Amino acid sequence: MKRLTEERTKVLFEKLAKYIGSNVQQLIDRPDGTYCFREHKDRVYYVSERILKLSECFGYKQLVCVGTCFGKFSKTNKLKFHITALYYLAPYAQYKVWVKPSFEQQYLYGNHIPKSGLGRITENAGQYQGVVVFSMNDLALGFGVLARSTTECKTADPLTTVCFHQSDIGEYIRAEDSLF
Amino acid sequence: MGRKAEYSEKQKKGPGRKARKQGPPSFPKKSFAPLEDEDKKLTHRQKQRMVKREQKKVVQKAKLKEKRAQQPRKQKKYNSDSEPEDEVANQQAGSSEEEVPQLVPIKKQKLNGTAATNSKSKKQQKPSKPESDEEPEDEYDESDNELDADSDDQEEVDGEEEEMEELDGEEASDDDDDDEAQVGKLDDLFADDDDDEEEAGSEEDASSDDEDGSDDDEDDDDENDEKLPIELANKKLKKRLAKEAKMADEEMQMTVDQSEVFQLPEPGEEFDAEMSLQDVQQRIKDITQVLTDFAKYRQEGRSRSEYVDQLRRDLCLYYSYNEFLMEKLMDIFKLSDLLEYLEASEVARPLTIRTNSLKTRRRDLAGALINRGVNLDPLGKWTNVGLVIFNSTVPLGATPEYLAGHYMIQGASSMLPVIALAPQENERVLDMCSAPGGKGSHIAAVMKNTGVLFANDSNRDRIKAVVANFHRLGIVNAVVSCEDATKFRNIMTGFDRVLLDAPCTGTGVVSKDPSVKTTKSEIDVQRCYNLQRKLLLTAIDCVDAKSSTGGYIVYSTCSVLPEENEWVVDYALKKRNVKLVPLGIDFGEPGFTKFRQHRYHPSLNLSKRFYPHTNNMDGFYVAKLKKFSNTIPITKEEQEADEKQLDEAIAAEEPEASKATDNEEDKEEGQEAVQDAPRKTLGKRAGKPTLTDVEQDLKKKKLEQSKTKYVAKVFEKPVKVPKKPKEDKPTPAAPETATNGKKSEKQSKKVEQPEAQNNGQSPSKKTPPQPKPATKLTEKLAKAKRVDVDEVPLLEGKPIKKQNNLKNKSKQIGQLKKSKPMAGKKQKFKK
Amino acid sequence: MDVVKAVLEKHQKELDKYKPITVEKHLECRLDVGSLLITDPNDLEDRQLANEKEEYLAALTRDNTQLLVNAIWELPTERVDESIVAKLPEPTTVLPRLRKPPGPRPLTKWEQFAKEKGITKKKKDKKTYDDVLDKWVPTYGFKRAEAEKDKEWVLEVPQNADPNTDMFQKKIDLRNEKVAKNEIQRMKNIVRAKKMDMPRSGYLGPEAASSNQLLTAVTVAKSSTASVGKFQSKLPKEKEARGLGVKELIPGGKRKASHITAQPEREANLDLIKSVLNKKPKLDVEKAIQLQKQDERLEREAEGNKPAKKGGKKGGGKGSRKAVGKKPKGHQGQRAPGKKGQTGRKRR
Repeated sequence: MKRLTEERTKVLFEKLAKYIGSNVQQLIDRPDGTYCFREHKDRVYYVSERILKLSECFGYKQLVCVGTCFGKFSKTNKLKFHITALYYLAPYAQYKVWVKPSFEQQYLYGNHIPKSGLGRITENAGQYQGVVVFSMNDLALGFGVLARSTTECKTADPLTTVCFHQSDIGEYIRAEDSLF
Repeated sequence: MGRKAEYSEKQKKGPGRKARKQGPPSFPKKSFAPLEDEDKKLTHRQKQRMVKREQKKVVQKAKLKEKRAQQPRKQKKYNSDSEPEDEVANQQAGSSEEEVPQLVPIKKQKLNGTAATNSKSKKQQKPSKPESDEEPEDEYDESDNELDADSDDQEEVDGEEEEMEELDGEEASDDDDDDEAQVGKLDDLFADDDDDEEEAGSEEDASSDDEDGSDDDEDDDDENDEKLPIELANKKLKKRLAKEAKMADEEMQMTVDQSEVFQLPEPGEEFDAEMSLQDVQQRIKDITQVLTDFAKYRQEGRSRSEYVDQLRRDLCLYYSYNEFLMEKLMDIFKLSDLLEYLEASEVARPLTIRTNSLKTRRRDLAGALINRGVNLDPLGKWTNVGLVIFNSTVPLGATPEYLAGHYMIQGASSMLPVIALAPQENERVLDMCSAPGGKGSHIAAVMKNTGVLFANDSNRDRIKAVVANFHRLGIVNAVVSCEDATKFRNIMTGFDRVLLDAPCTGTGVVSKDPSVKTTKSEIDVQRCYNLQRKLLLTAIDCVDAKSSTGGYIVYSTCSVLPEENEWVVDYALKKRNVKLVPLGIDFGEPGFTKFRQHRYHPSLNLSKRFYPHTNNMDGFYVAKLKKFSNTIPITKEEQEADEKQLDEAIAAEEPEASKATDNEEDKEEGQEAVQDAPRKTLGKRAGKPTLTDVEQDLKKKKLEQSKTKYVAKVFEKPVKVPKKPKEDKPTPAAPETATNGKKSEKQSKKVEQPEAQNNGQSPSKKTPPQPKPATKLTEKLAKAKRVDVDEVPLLEGKPIKKQNNLKNKSKQIGQLKKSKPMAGKKQKFKK
Repeated sequence: MDVVKAVLEKHQKELDKYKPITVEKHLECRLDVGSLLITDPNDLEDRQLANEKEEYLAALTRDNTQLLVNAIWELPTERVDESIVAKLPEPTTVLPRLRKPPGPRPLTKWEQFAKEKGITKKKKDKKTYDDVLDKWVPTYGFKRAEAEKDKEWVLEVPQNADPNTDMFQKKIDLRNEKVAKNEIQRMKNIVRAKKMDMPRSGYLGPEAASSNQLLTAVTVAKSSTASVGKFQSKLPKEKEARGLGVKELIPGGKRKASHITAQPEREANLDLIKSVLNKKPKLDVEKAIQLQKQDERLEREAEGNKPAKKGGKKGGGKGSRKAVGKKPKGHQGQRAPGKKGQTGRKRR
């Protein structure tokens, strides 16, 4: 467990802000305790301080995971969120996309969302805005990036992709080897 | 379903045609045997035959007597169906045969008075009856028609005898004799042939034929003169038909009778070759039946163990187990339970899921799944998160609810240890063998994401599954590690609760993994229970007994073998300060308190066993222990040895080598006991044994002794350890002085050795040339025993000069450098 | 007698040709026979110097040389290879030097160590008898490798290793590593001897260094401050040095940083978040533009049916133009999917 460097912390917060905007503060400034981000083998973990202290006794090779893994830093210090971050992104998401039931399965297979699969979308979402994808039952399915802004979506073709898929909960089955 | 049909025949009433139908046939006669009311006037021929028969009988009886003398008497008991008069009959068995020929004429006289009725029905009732005819049938086979008359008469007699028994109960002695005669015959029967059932069958048929024939013959004799040839032929035909009918009945009866007397195949016989699985199953059933009432159904000459062996072989064959495992199971289960268990193990247990209470409620989930087309039900009263799935149209492992982490596919038995553990909020819980994460996630769900959960598993590949599941189910307070669980006490202790779902042979989850049936052997079981013991001790050490809310350890396995379950827990009870507590689960069998030759602690009945055939879940075992003290008990002898040592410490001052060695030995034993105690202090005393003063002293002494133990042994270059002041600490404890003395002895030896070697082994008794003021040590040296140089073990091997113990040298030289007056020393070594 | 006289006279004449051996001087000349130097402190005669310069100086030189030669003839002689040689004593004059003569070489690290411990060099025998091979085998030099190969023609793969590892290659690699290490040590010794100032990272120079080495050098340089590089800001695209051996070079890199948070971390994080959020535009540009468009539309309607202004500073492109207040028309399925220009006002 290492503390994140300045640079990496910045990258992390920037990325978080993309999806949850100003709610990033709530991740740090929690009423039920201080949580922090730590790094272990290039993966970012979000843990409470109390648990962090206890995890010190494990060796570098022996420790596998503490708290929630948000994502992984690449060799060039770029951060990629894993689906495991959804637990925190979903409740604080500022821009959401709802998917029609018919398209749910498709999305879980890793396809991008076309206009025909789009159920609802929050207003005033700009292009390339990070969004969290929900099903019509308000079940968080994953997250992605908008290909078109909300206003553009309204006039788009049914086949054009509206939202790029970045991560979905189907990955728990599809990519369980690579995820951890 | 429809209306239920009525199967009872009601008599048709009323004026209709059906009412007018002919009623069912009514037989005025109860049997087809000739009515005994008729006067039987014997014709001349008959009389002749009678005489011959008598003669034959005598001869036969003589033979029987000889045979009977050889056979054991026990066989008589087999005919439990026969009336209690048998017992009486047994006593008079010896005399029965002789009386039989006498009986015959008596019986003959009585023939007139008695009714030859019910003989057939009686034969049907008495299973022994048809077999009694074997002997006369023997005669029939052996001899020719001559015997017919005899046999016929005998049968007649037998039939009449039977009737007499029933009708005239007064003539007890006669009846007894009759029975005896019968019994005698039965004995002979069994003596004659065990395997030739078919022959017997045929003989019986023949006997029935004979009976018919005899009756008919008699009739014929009487009536031949009167009837036409056609009529005679007709009669014969009728007779034959009747005969056949009777044969059929008797055959049926015979087969029924024969199954009761199950014949165990000889040990040398091929039992696999031609038998189909159905035959094997049938045989299993037969043997179980025999074993349920061994006295009644057994075969002579076969012991119980032979039956049991055969049964085991058959079971192994039928259910494809290996002998070892089947033997174990037979020891654990009663026979009836065993079959049920085996059957239940063949079939997979129903699929169950556990709702993730962190994300959803059971009814919400049930609703959602039902919408998707899944047929489910709540699991039971004992759980409020379990659901059992009957069938589903969608794959349960891929529904969006599953992916969102609303539920976890888990066996019902896997929920039990967590229910038993009952973790509270804000506790520190350890799950030692976590993969794939079902129980760990359940614990976290019960704790509501508070506290800390440590999930550990030693397998790196499976630990990924744990991480994946935890993330999916939204567990935030977990620390996942990949450590060797037996070394966990060195890493961290002081947990409130520990769950140990130990790796086992898996004999309880055969339905999931059928390979367990064939691949498990003695060594596997041994390995498993040794590992389990280690793990359980580690788990106990990791718990803090002083924890305010906890101090519990739950031990569970998915196996039914007591070696892995009760024995391990019993071992733990002996080795640590723990006790068993009730689980909090009200169903399931209690654990064994004794098993074969083992006797376990009586509280082991608080642990619970679960079987697939009784509880409809995988075979499982759960035990809950409470740690009531953090100290580790050492055995009594070690305790005594330590005390003895302490006494010496207080009393003696002079070092005695013998005592030192004794202490060493005792300490070794003590050390082994204390070895399990955690040594590293990690800033917390929780979970560490609180040592009393005595114990602390002991510990210190042991540590010091262990330090000084590694004094120069053979082949080791004598290392000159500079006498630092701290070693001269004036401690009162004798062992210390003993060790010092010993050390100084050895040092003096060492010093002498190089000198000796250098000076060509001249015996020198000079003290080491250390310009030190007279310290306690030098005094001791002066006092210490002088060992003659010749007695000193010579260092063999390389000469001192050229030995490359650089490290030691460097240390010495380094030290020597620091303290000035060592310059001279250097030169010495260089030589 | 005449002959003798004649000979003597002849000899005398000959001798008269040469000047006498003995030379008289006012002051004694200083002789440094070791460096073949004679120093004449006598003054020069001005008169002779003025008139007969060359002859005078020549005579003077001759005299001095004569003295020197006399001195040389007095030295002890020895015979070296068929010639008689005079042994020169030590020179007494001190000649000025540009540089100091090199002192004794400083001992290398190993030599120091050996001296300390008293380790002496042992001469390796050229050939030793090897029991396994049953022959005499060179310990170094020619045909040693061959003998080694003979002896270790098979190598065991240990239990815990991957069965496919090439043990021979491993051995070679190990040897190469050792050689490389030895080389480094030698370099270090040289550096130490020369008392050069070498950077820790072994930076060679801009031409010779690889990019990784340069990066390492930069990292090391950055962390060579009192606060171990904490306040040295990084350039935006600057990469960090990675690889083996870098951590040891970074001063203070060995100490394991505690990952327990102090209170400041929380504050630091919050500040960072603030700064990140501040960089994002607070103004929702699209919404603002929409509002503006709405206003414009209202104005238009208020003015009457005037040709609509295609106002739109939107950066959204074509789609935004149509999206404003208008529903897309399906045109009963006849609309071409590619064509977008027809929904709006027809262009003339």
